[in-house]
Amino acid sequence: MNFKTYRLVALVAWPLAAMNYAAAQVPSPAATPTPATAAESRSVNDWLMRMHEASKKRSYIGTFVVSSGGAMSSAKVWHVCEGNQQVERVETLTGAPRSIFRHNDQVVTFMPDHKVVRSEKRESLGMFPELLQSTDSRIADFYRMRHEGVERVAGIEADVVVLVPKDSMRFGYRIWTEQKKGLVVKLQTLDADGKVLEQAAFSELQLDAPVKMDQLIQMMGKVDGYRVEKPVMVKTTASAEGWVLKAPVAGFKPMSCYKRPAAASAAPGAEPLQWIFSDGLASVSIFVEPYDRQRHEKETSLSLGATQTLTRQLDTYWVTIMGEVPMATLRHFANGLERKK
Amino acid sequence: MNTMKPSMQTSELMSALADGQLGGEDFAAALQACQHDESAVASWATYHLIGEVLRSPAPVVHGADLAFLGRLNQRLLQELPEPLLGGHRQPGIADSAAQAGAKAGANVAHHRGAASNDGNLRWKWVAGFASLAAVSAIAWNASGLLLPAAAPQLAQGSAQQVLVASPQGPIVRDARLEELLAAHKQLGGASALQVPSGFLRNATFETPQNAGR
Repeated sequence: MNFKTYRLVALVAWPLAAMNYAAAQVPSPAATPTPATAAESRSVNDWLMRMHEASKKRSYIGTFVVSSGGAMSSAKVWHVCEGNQQVERVETLTGAPRSIFRHNDQVVTFMPDHKVVRSEKRESLGMFPELLQSTDSRIADFYRMRHEGVERVAGIEADVVVLVPKDSMRFGYRIWTEQKKGLVVKLQTLDADGKVLEQAAFSELQLDAPVKMDQLIQMMGKVDGYRVEKPVMVKTTASAEGWVLKAPVAGFKPMSCYKRPAAASAAPGAEPLQWIFSDGLASVSIFVEPYDRQRHEKETSLSLGATQTLTRQLDTYWVTIMGEVPMATLRHFANGLERKK
Repeated sequence: MNTMKPSMQTSELMSALADGQLGGEDFAAALQACQHDESAVASWATYHLIGEVLRSPAPVVHGADLAFLGRLNQRLLQELPEPLLGGHRQPGIADSAAQAGAKAGANVAHHRGAASNDGNLRWKWVAGFASLAAVSAIAWNASGLLLPAAAPQLAQGSAQQVLVASPQGPIVRDARLEELLAAHKQLGGASALQVPSGFLRNATFETPQNAGR
């Protein structure tokens, strides 16, 4: 079983390594002469809107590769859209086999090894245009955009744009978007020194591929022989649960707050509260659960790829804070969190 | 959780365990079988050896000497109060290693009898760590698979620790942290980049169980 994995990793590692190599050969993407076109004059929001729209207009089949924290994963992707409907199928090629189907914000994950299928609604998927509209200037307040030129990714000419954070509270992003419609073909998360923390890219991409929506929707509904799990999340507010962030962290606004009702997991009452923040690009989750001396040994901070994690004990509670932000930002959250008196 | 599925024979269970195919109750049952039944551990070792032979092009050096392992675990328990690696750095790990070893047995040993480096504490620590790694590799297969509901509960109820590689070197994470990470990735995707690529990224990278390989 491991051998297969190795072969796969080697297979996907090669194009990615080649990609890196190619990138290294070009001294700087900016060296590519860029005509002063619309690409230059677009604002941060224009770019983001264009990327978002592109995923609603393009059908494609491709292989997607993610490299993070020293590990690499890949998946085969089918994407189709008609009108307001978007359907996506993701078949993982690394690790345990999984098929993930997405129909707009409805996500179904098949785990054939366990004969389990998980069906859930992901609100964050429907959030975007509103996210941008309601917070219109916010992303631009905290990130500056720079057009870095043109590069080829997965055989496709792409504009390279960099979102540079204006303060040290967040990471930067380098994004490759297909020139014609703006589909994102590669994405890097960068730390303050510009070092790549994580990257994701198509290693091959067939645009306007003939993908049949009906067929994908049909596959998505085929749960015979599977146990269907529907994680129940109860929407709540931090305030109602007795928590407050006394010192807000610059740019991050609370988005939502959930509670997992007592289920099979752990002891009763141990279900964590999840309070989610976002600055429009990066998100942070604060988990709060009762402190348990047996399970919560010591406070730690952990970094894997772009995702940082910090744990703290706060009175009789155990707090875990996670996000695609620098550790210092998580510390701000930790220091600002307080139990309401 | 305490009862083994009657449909699954111990040897079958051990075979599945060695292949990392168990989850949930089966996994717990397998670990319990290991604890109470020495022949179960022996058959696990055999299946493991078979797997290694099949997979490895090189000759397999194998000495899963259970008697040795038993002695090792006892010694590890005795050694605990003493400082390890020049300080009290990771008593939790050594402890778990001893427990884990007792639970499932592992392919640690290339040495038999009282080793010449008996006095070398560091060597024992490493061996214990290796046994933890072997066991947690199995635990990882079973527990890294997403859901809290699907995550196995170990008989002891202690934190399930998982060894993963990171840029900072090997680190120990527990299954609970994995659950939270999954929750963060699922619900925390409040980002303008979510639809174009964040979702794909998380779908592709949901279980980092191959981290560091």
